Amino acid sequence: MKVIEIKDLHKIYSSSDIEVHAVNGVNLDFMEAEFAAIVGPSGSGKTTLLNLLGGLDMPTSGQILIDGTDLSKLKSSALIDFRMRNIGFVFQSYNLIPVLTAKENVEFIMSLQKWIRKDREERSYDLLKSIGLADRYNSRPAKLSGGQQQRVAVARALASRPKFVLADEPTANLDSKAASTLLEIMEKLNHEEKITFIFSTHDPRVMKMAHRVITLEDGKVVSDEKPE
Amino acid sequence: MIIQIAWKNVWRNKTRSLIVILSVAVGVFAGVFAMAAMNSSVVQRIDAAVNEELSHIQVNNREFRSSSDIRDLIQGFNEVDSLMRSLPGVNSTTGRIIIRGIASTSAKSAGVEINGIDVEKEKEMFSLHKKVIPGTGSYFESETKFNSVLIGEKLAKELNIIRYILTPEAVAHLDSLKIPSVVLSKLDPVYGERFTSDKKFNRELEKLLTPNEIKKYSIQIKEAAWSYREGAKLILTFLDKDNNQTGAGFRVCGIFRTNNDMFEGMSVFVPAGELRALTGMEEGTWHRLIARLDNNDLTDELTEPARKAIPSYEVLNWKEIQPDLAMIADFMGQIYGIFMAIILAALAFGIVNTMLMAVLERTKELGMLTAIGMNRKKIFSMIMFESIFLSIVGGFAGMGIAGAVIALTAKNGINLMKYSEGMEAFGYSAHLFPTIDAQFFITTTILIVLTGILSSVYPARKALKLNPIEAIRTE
Repeated sequence: MKVIEIKDLHKIYSSSDIEVHAVNGVNLDFMEAEFAAIVGPSGSGKTTLLNLLGGLDMPTSGQILIDGTDLSKLKSSALIDFRMRNIGFVFQSYNLIPVLTAKENVEFIMSLQKWIRKDREERSYDLLKSIGLADRYNSRPAKLSGGQQQRVAVARALASRPKFVLADEPTANLDSKAASTLLEIMEKLNHEEKITFIFSTHDPRVMKMAHRVITLEDGKVVSDEKPE
Repeated sequence: MIIQIAWKNVWRNKTRSLIVILSVAVGVFAGVFAMAAMNSSVVQRIDAAVNEELSHIQVNNREFRSSSDIRDLIQGFNEVDSLMRSLPGVNSTTGRIIIRGIASTSAKSAGVEINGIDVEKEKEMFSLHKKVIPGTGSYFESETKFNSVLIGEKLAKELNIIRYILTPEAVAHLDSLKIPSVVLSKLDPVYGERFTSDKKFNRELEKLLTPNEIKKYSIQIKEAAWSYREGAKLILTFLDKDNNQTGAGFRVCGIFRTNNDMFEGMSVFVPAGELRALTGMEEGTWHRLIARLDNNDLTDELTEPARKAIPSYEVLNWKEIQPDLAMIADFMGQIYGIFMAIILAALAFGIVNTMLMAVLERTKELGMLTAIGMNRKKIFSMIMFESIFLSIVGGFAGMGIAGAVIALTAKNGINLMKYSEGMEAFGYSAHLFPTIDAQFFITTTILIVLTGILSSVYPARKALKLNPIEAIRTE
């Protein structure tokens, strides 16, 4: 089943005399439970594409349909609400809420969605167990390592069972061991939860684990492969 | 969840939050306490005016206040009295004879208002009988064949009825008050000497003591040396009912002390019967009817009905008789407004500043929150709650401290003896008992919370303007 449809997507950044075509006529579809990497050199448009997919930025032209909903047709407040219900985010620099514990961070979006306490607690406990941090549920982010924080960020992104999770260079700040642990966890959760993961990366190890690798150059898709 | 995060956010930067909370607390404390102290002086002044001097409502012949003519009486006093008593809320009434005259001793004389009173009724309605200085006599209690008069301390000093003598007892008393012996030995030359006026004694003290010693000890020394000529006699001269000058000798039966120099210097009291005998006024005739109400709050409410009930006489309440007092009471409300506005403005600036810092510091985090789906309303509320928490914690701490200090000082009062002369000249006590009503606390609390909400608007709007992508990118 198609989760995301991207149709002739363009994003042009223009300042006084320069125009940058960050995304230039991209057409892509993502299916349920995909585990896809968007790769390419710096400035190829990976982050811009992810921002457009996440509704954090608006395309200059073209359409992004998520389960049939055109993102560009949503008003700003509806868009925030749409993101909260449908999209999970994992950022390069973890970005957990520093005053909340690991468990509270995982529960955060569920509580925005007004899940009842019991369900929230069960779900966050299961997820923390899956990412191997059940014993650290009461720790604040400052007490966790970078890798552990990013695992909590993944759990948070998945917690409310969004349609897909966007991860912008999730391993960029991690050492190789933490990076591979994180990826294993992401892949496991992708498999278990059947939630689509789309992540941008430079990291060849990450590319190797992806089930689909989309390569961007100058804002265009130059290859779209499914390595065996 | 939002409230919980907001509360936790307040304590992220403990030092900064504590400094803001402390400054809010100090501001609120200072404001509330200063108001309580100022309020107390006004409340005490009004209480004194009502309980010692004026009572709540007075009725006069329409001409009397301007003419002061002994013949401008309330005709048919008993009828007027029963009309007044029939009004619900009127507690008690009495009549007074009021005659302008001159009080003189062998040394001096002074213009006075002679009040002929019904001693027993006045005792029930006024608290002046409690103000008789111990050792100077009583409120018309001693049996004497002479006419007796009750006068104020100020008048007694003016007429040289009070003098200053440093007797051995006075020195022993000063010694027990731990006045340094150096100071006492400096006073040696004046031991036993009699000073007939305040001025003369002051002049002597200035010669003997240093300015610093005077500042520290003169009040206690004067208090100890204060001596009253027992059974002093004075002559009251006035016009009788036929406008012929008359007068008589009176024995001072007691000296009262209030905080109002004007009242002490002007008013003398004699039993009405004695005054009637001297002026030839008929039994049952009075110049003024004085009414006491169940409580002071009824004053405004009852004035009009009283006017309607007694249309041919002038009916005035204490606010109309002493408009300066009423004005000050109103003025206090305005001062309170200005005071609170200044404090709350300072509080608002402090909070805006802190919250703005907090928002700008957390750009990335706020961007992330928007990105993952926390809507504008929730972000706004979160910042608003943080501001409110800061103001509430600070405000309550300030009010708590103020409440405690007011409770402590209300028991023993704040003694401003240094300024007593100036304050008492205007009728204000130099001994303040800070008081504040519950209404004030409630209003202040509401205002603090409102200020917290208002001062959160700017930082919260700033937070809403953050673009999530820019915000997340900020390193």
